[in-house]
Amino acid sequence: MECEYISTLHIERGMVPEERKSNNGLIISFEDRTYSYLNCKEPAIQNINLAISPGEIILIAGPSGCGKSTLLRSINGLIPHMYPGNSSGKVSIDGSSVDETSITEIAKKVGFVFQNPENQIFMFSVERDVAFGLENLGLYHEKIREQVDWAIQLLNIEKLVNRAPHELSDGQKQKVALAGVLAMKPRILILDEPTSLLDPFTALELVEIIKKINQNLGVTILIVEHRLDLLINAATRIICMSKGKILFDGEPRKVLTEKKLPRIGIGIPTITRLHRILNEEKPVFGKIPLSADELATNLKLILK
Amino acid sequence: MQWIAQGFIFRRITSPFHQLDPRVKLLVSIELFTLSLLVGSLPEVIIALSGIFAIASISKILRRISRTLTYTLFFAIIIFSINILVGYPLMDAFVIAVRFLAIVGSTSIFFLTTPPDELELVMKWFRLPRDIVFAFVTAVRFVPVLMMDALQIMDAQKSRGLELQKGNIFSRFRRFIPILIPLIVDAVLRSGDLAEAMEARAYGAVKKPTSLYQLEIGVWGKVATILSITLIVPLAYLFLFLM
Amino acid sequence: MIEFSSVEYRHPNGVLALRNIDLKIRKGEVLAIVGENGAGKTTLIKHTNGLLKPSKGKVTAFDMDTNDESVANLSRKIGIIFQNPDHQIFSESVENEVKFALKNFGFKEEAISERLEWALNFFDLERYRTTSPMLLSGGEKKRLCIASVLAWDPDVVVMDEPTVGQDFIQKERLIKIIQMLVSKGKTVVIVSHDIEFIWPLQPRVIVMCGGKIIADNKAGKIFQERELLNKARIVKPQLQELSEKIHGESSGAFSNIYDAKQWVISKLKSD
Ligand SMILES: Nc1ncnc2c1ncn2[C@@H]1O[C@H](COP(=O)(O)OP(=O)(O)OP(=O)(O)O)[C@@H](O)[C@H]1O
Ligand SMILES: Nc1ncnc2c1ncn2[C@@H]1O[C@H](COP(=O)(O)OP(=O)(O)OP(=O)(O)O)[C@@H](O)[C@H]1O
Ligand SMILES: [Mg+2]
Ligand SMILES: [Mg+2]
Repeated sequence: MECEYISTLHIERGMVPEERKSNNGLIISFEDRTYSYLNCKEPAIQNINLAISPGEIILIAGPSGCGKSTLLRSINGLIPHMYPGNSSGKVSIDGSSVDETSITEIAKKVGFVFQNPENQIFMFSVERDVAFGLENLGLYHEKIREQVDWAIQLLNIEKLVNRAPHELSDGQKQKVALAGVLAMKPRILILDEPTSLLDPFTALELVEIIKKINQNLGVTILIVEHRLDLLINAATRIICMSKGKILFDGEPRKVLTEKKLPRIGIGIPTITRLHRILNEEKPVFGKIPLSADELATNLKLILK
Repeated sequence: MQWIAQGFIFRRITSPFHQLDPRVKLLVSIELFTLSLLVGSLPEVIIALSGIFAIASISKILRRISRTLTYTLFFAIIIFSINILVGYPLMDAFVIAVRFLAIVGSTSIFFLTTPPDELELVMKWFRLPRDIVFAFVTAVRFVPVLMMDALQIMDAQKSRGLELQKGNIFSRFRRFIPILIPLIVDAVLRSGDLAEAMEARAYGAVKKPTSLYQLEIGVWGKVATILSITLIVPLAYLFLFLM
Repeated sequence: MIEFSSVEYRHPNGVLALRNIDLKIRKGEVLAIVGENGAGKTTLIKHTNGLLKPSKGKVTAFDMDTNDESVANLSRKIGIIFQNPDHQIFSESVENEVKFALKNFGFKEEAISERLEWALNFFDLERYRTTSPMLLSGGEKKRLCIASVLAWDPDVVVMDEPTVGQDFIQKERLIKIIQMLVSKGKTVVIVSHDIEFIWPLQPRVIVMCGGKIIADNKAGKIFQERELLNKARIVKPQLQELSEKIHGESSGAFSNIYDAKQWVISKLKSD
């Protein structure tokens, strides 16, 4: 009883005590969120309900213009703080409402990597750029040094520390951008089409790094990507969006069985498509494969 | 166009002079600048110029500074001619023109040896507001990027049959519209992206952001400071009162 | 039709972006150029219509030396669609955006309106005729750019990274457009990192690495060579992986999922 009394007191003062924050263990939650950009009649996202637990890797798919970026911006507070517009419902991170928390406060918890690596590097040396967020937070010199070195080591870019942005390739720039975000030790990492300009190997390297970050540090990851094949093996969950709404949400294998996906503009991996048309012919080809390996093993068993 | 874009990109060179604290480089530059202002006779001009070239050669920027001075030569010649026309003696006109070169050279020393990030630290040290410093940094960072974009836009429009060299001045200006509009749009889109990325990395979280690097004069910096002052003060005295 | 002989290109900043390029692009073929970031793919295609002139060697297109010919003249025959639609869109309406090149190339009034109608129709942009192109979605902008180039009916169509940021529907459309071009006897050159996209086209493939062409062959052959692909930082298409897992290394792959299905079904029946 007393405990509850104290916590209401805290809430009145705008401080939420730790035990109240734990929102059923969810790290991100959307409750009936709708948002439309200023001067737009149609909402960009509509009645979004979403519960995300710590440690998930979530792939967000959907046709161009369906609201993926809008959803991501709603998590780190760019919406509504930077983009004015109409919103209803609620988004919370760790139990505290995004609408009532400043972007800079959220930035400590949520890292955001964008599509174009060029536009997220500000400084003239890699090291300085990785430090950018920490300098903004006003950390002590020694602390900045420590976290910068940590992030640079994590991404294996020690050789680049003194390079200027124009001396980096696109892939390297994207790694630097990621390092700059990770140096702030976020609990949630958001990536909006981070690999679209990269060659296949570099893209896969980035995916491996993301997996490692998730496994070793427990960072929750949300990533938007048009090429599902790249991430299908890493993701623990896929969210499919269309016209501002979430249509499917679940385990990769389960979501991939949905018949509607190609029609709403979501391309499933070639191998999954093959499996699908095979099963339509004769439903004996087992569970949905996520890689060529899996399907080959299946086929060998059946054709023997 | 491409050459201009290249000119805006800072090339990192290492030399004993480059490694000095940027404030010391600024000091040396100001000293040379002052000296150049004070010169009034041929020997003085020679002393000032040789000081500039000595520093330039220590910092391995002789070629770049010579290039800058070659461009400046054009203005120097104009200054020389005007002075002759106004009626100065030949020697005086010559000294005045060369003094102009020396002034430009001494300022170039600082800008050619100080990368933008060091410049930023100096600006911070002078307690300029954070937003102004950051605006400066972003401008220097993105001018070459936008210039490269301009090149790509020109390529795209030329591939659609746009001919920039054709016609008189007026129609030529009109032909630049298909390049200017995408360039402006591009700059706006980029700045939108930048703003988002800045916010996402807590720009403006605290009033006084800290810094990864701290300015430190160091032993060599102190040596250079003392040395340069002990050289400059007597020289300036000499220039002012004795020669 | 387009021929590179011993071409070398050095950017003004000193980067040697093309070395010793020998290449013949033949009429009616689909040519895919693949390779790591910075391999020189974009630099190469900018030589086809004379935007860049070789530092050494020679490029001829339609029997014209690109050194002697204006970019406009060459572009009339060789249309390049660049990666970023925002780098070319400037008109106040979709209609004018398509007309821009037609006017530049000196088409007659009737020809202009005829080509315009064809392009808007074919690319499903009719309803946006008077809309500002800046308001279109990413996919529509891309389509508009392709439309604005195909409108003047070039013989060779070159696309730089056409799939970046494009969704599945748009990619399927692109494939259809490319197939249509091929059926009309056009030559299509595609620069892309998206192997799954180019595989069903079964093109001739050029692999670039460090400014050189390190391989030039049919897709079916190129994608069997793991070492080559590793060097160029490229992955195998999934259907190739699949057939290798079934038939062993360096075996031919199914060119599309329907072939693969046919094979599996016939195999099932014979078992
Ligand atoms: N800044 C903005 N102002 C107004 N409308 C916007 C803005 N950004 C996006 N929209 C609109 O909101 C809708 C959703 O856009 P969003 O960028 O979230 O889509 P997306 O799924 O990320 O698409 P893509 O795959 O092309 O990146 C679109 O209709 C778009 O036109
Ligand atoms: N305008 C330019 N000025 C100077 N160097 C350039 C320019 N454009 C490209 N380069 C350099 O030339 C080389 C080849 O670049 P190019 O753009 O042709 O590669 P690419 O194969 O198209 O790469 P990507 O897959 O990333 O598009 C790279 O090292 C690049 O840095
Ligand atoms: Mg988006
Ligand atoms: Mg390219």
